[in-house]
Amino acid sequence: MFAESEHRIWPRNLGYLAAALAILLLPLLVANDFYVHIAQTLFYTTIAVIGLNVLLGLSGQMSLGQAGFYAIGAYGSALLSSQLGLPLALSMAAGAGLACSAGLLVGLVALRTRGLYLAMATLAFGFIVEIAAQRWTDLTGGTMGVFGIPTLDFGSRSMGKAYFLWVAGALYLGAQIVSDYVFASRYRRNLLALKENESSAQTAGINVPVWRTVVFAASALAAGVAGTLFTHQSAYINSDAFTLNLTLTLLIATVIGGLGYSYGPIIGTLITLLIAELIASLYDVSFMIYGVILLAVLLLFPQGAIGLLQKIARLLHIGASQRSPGRREPSSIACIPARGGRVVRGDGPALLIDDLTKSYIGVTALKNVSVRIERGTVHALIGPNGAGKSTLINVVSGLYAADAGRIVLDGKDITALPSHARARLGLARTFQNLQLVPSLSALENVMIGIRQRRGAAADFTAWMTSAHFDQIERSRALLLLDQFGISHVSDARPEDLPYGHRKLVELARAIAEEPAVMLLDEPIAGLNDEEARQIADVIRRIRDEGTTILLVEHNMEFVMSLSDRVTVLDYGESIAEGTPAEVRSDSRVITAYLGVGLDAQRSELTAAT
Amino acid sequence: MISGTNFIQLLFSGLAMGAIYALTAKGLFIAHLATTRMNFGQGEFLMIAAYLSMALILAGVPVVASTIVVIAILGLLGWALERFALRPLDRFKSLAGGQYSWVLTTMGVALIIQNVATLVWGKSSQYSPPLFSESRSNVVKVFGVGVFVEELVVIVTALVIVAFFYWILFRTRQGRAIHAVAFNPEAATLLGVDVRRTVTLVFVLAAVLAGISGILVGPIVTVQPHMGLVFTVKAFAVASLGGFTNPLGVLAGALIFGITESFSNYFNSKFGDLFPLLIVLVLLVLKPSGLFGEAKADVR
Repeated sequence: MFAESEHRIWPRNLGYLAAALAILLLPLLVANDFYVHIAQTLFYTTIAVIGLNVLLGLSGQMSLGQAGFYAIGAYGSALLSSQLGLPLALSMAAGAGLACSAGLLVGLVALRTRGLYLAMATLAFGFIVEIAAQRWTDLTGGTMGVFGIPTLDFGSRSMGKAYFLWVAGALYLGAQIVSDYVFASRYRRNLLALKENESSAQTAGINVPVWRTVVFAASALAAGVAGTLFTHQSAYINSDAFTLNLTLTLLIATVIGGLGYSYGPIIGTLITLLIAELIASLYDVSFMIYGVILLAVLLLFPQGAIGLLQKIARLLHIGASQRSPGRREPSSIACIPARGGRVVRGDGPALLIDDLTKSYIGVTALKNVSVRIERGTVHALIGPNGAGKSTLINVVSGLYAADAGRIVLDGKDITALPSHARARLGLARTFQNLQLVPSLSALENVMIGIRQRRGAAADFTAWMTSAHFDQIERSRALLLLDQFGISHVSDARPEDLPYGHRKLVELARAIAEEPAVMLLDEPIAGLNDEEARQIADVIRRIRDEGTTILLVEHNMEFVMSLSDRVTVLDYGESIAEGTPAEVRSDSRVITAYLGVGLDAQRSELTAAT
Repeated sequence: MISGTNFIQLLFSGLAMGAIYALTAKGLFIAHLATTRMNFGQGEFLMIAAYLSMALILAGVPVVASTIVVIAILGLLGWALERFALRPLDRFKSLAGGQYSWVLTTMGVALIIQNVATLVWGKSSQYSPPLFSESRSNVVKVFGVGVFVEELVVIVTALVIVAFFYWILFRTRQGRAIHAVAFNPEAATLLGVDVRRTVTLVFVLAAVLAGISGILVGPIVTVQPHMGLVFTVKAFAVASLGGFTNPLGVLAGALIFGITESFSNYFNSKFGDLFPLLIVLVLLVLKPSGLFGEAKADVR
């Protein structure tokens, strides 16, 4: 069944072999040292740009301090090799490691803050390193520079340039392969999820702060590696090389090539280097030219060279046949279970909400609410608008912190856990106002929910050797969509889907997590009758398969027909609990919904339900 | 150790620079409040204003006239920035990478301005003539200690302007419009606020604030084409120290920053200006919403 896999990985792997061969032959065939030098610079600069591309394009973090990490790598390796006489392999590893550590430290800011603050913090960091490089003359030599740095030539004068090119080329190729893997794998999905929709990423089990920091440190490492190579390309460096202009050049290369495309960096860096060579004689106006390029690219071609090429290809109808992401008919994957649900078979309730209180400034949204949700039941939470239902869901899923009280999932107190940890313990949720990742397809949105059990190394190996390395996840997501009858739109982005389909996609993502307890916040609001019936069927089915469901919904017919038990909230307090029939006839509930003494409307409510 | 005279002089020069940072950061604050964007070339706007003011005064234009001209030019620059480098980006809202394009477009404009300044005025540092007194070194006695007149006037002017902008923001219809746009642009439109005009207005105001800062700072530091970045970085530091949500916090943050820097420079002339920045970075880790910002969880 995977017969065509060879066809799909071989173009890619052949491409890597061809690139390796080209790197190998280039210095042997090209006699002109100048071109060899350009190729060297292209390779190591691209490494830094790849880091920036993943950082900005996938995780959505803006760094204006890459020159700082580059400088730390450069000076670290330069000083360790020239002053302490360390061998280059060691000094370069240490330089890159220093840059990565600095990235972790600055990443702490990323951990605590977001967006704008990070851009500012990195700008300040880059500035501090730039000034330190300039003025800490005892260490860096300032603008006079560091002399006598050993070059990376393995002691050979004649072949030195070729050796350097091979090292830089090999490191670039390695970085490119890792980048390709990240773009093809769950990492791309997870990073885009945390970039574009943090709450949904958290509640799908993605540890957002850790991923932010890891990506930030990785981009610092990439910049550091580039810096160490730069340092050993010639025997001399000075502080002029590490200004904000370097950061800007790297950013220009990233956007000019195409932000968020794995091959953007190499193309962007090539274009940027060519421009730099072309305008070398126009030194006086070089800033102006770079400024104009930045504006022109971002305002006119925001998807960069790759985006432009794709557009042209589409216009010429090339590559139209490319769009078939390993689609399978559901019948061929029937062997995969619909859900290997994590059915908990202990005693006690699946979810215990114990004496929970949550206040916003001036408003107590939840007051000593206790709810006991038995295993394998559908437990509904109803109440008038503003009763605290959504707050309860948000507190239970960990997006809001409780002021007092306990939340116990399957016997384990999860009150203090962050929401991604709760998700991993088997708590899934959907949102009232949909929280899908806009730049992922419907299928990929569902795949975010699927917990991949392979480790990173095994997954990477699988990716290298098989085009269908994620076939299990892909098929399962497709099957879930198929069960909702929307597998035909699996490639569509959320914004192109009708509202009802989007709700189904979100529900499918929650089911994909194989949760023990699922929190559904108004699952049928805005849906038509047919879609609502479909959702009701799904809820019954997953309940019958053992999943426990806490349901918030305004549609009484839906709630009463589906629920095993119902809890009624009013002004943040639980005012009634029981079977649908008990709750329906509870006088306090009727008062809460309809006010006092409205007998006519009371009978209306009874009739409606 | 430090003498009493030195102490007061350092205090005043710290306050003067702090006041300048407050004005510059105020521009970032207003733009960020209404649009969550801001000008990463705020320092370059300040730099070009300092050069323009210097050139006009040296050409014999009276200070009042030159100030008006420079402010008008900066207002125009702010308008052009919003119109040509920011607003066109709104078309690409749905694109994956476009989230921070505005950082790069405003930096692109900054590069162009810096290059123009280098071409016109050259690379070397220049001294701008004083605005309020005959020479840069005029002093008055405060607590029996000589304090530069220019610094004193800068402090007073900056405080007056900060108060004036505070009044605009909280006491006028325009200020309420800015807050409405900040809260929810769509709702503001429905309430009859011209969102586009308001957004343009905040960038004009931000540029004007950079302009005033540039005019004031020229005579107390040396003017050179690369000075912009320093001011951008410090204005950011100050604005985040104050918490971007609190207008008085920006002022307090700026004055604390200016004074700290002044003393830190006195004790370590080589790296003195880096320590306040490092402190701000550490503070950002410990208290992400700034010293005076409200801790607001970003949960939807």
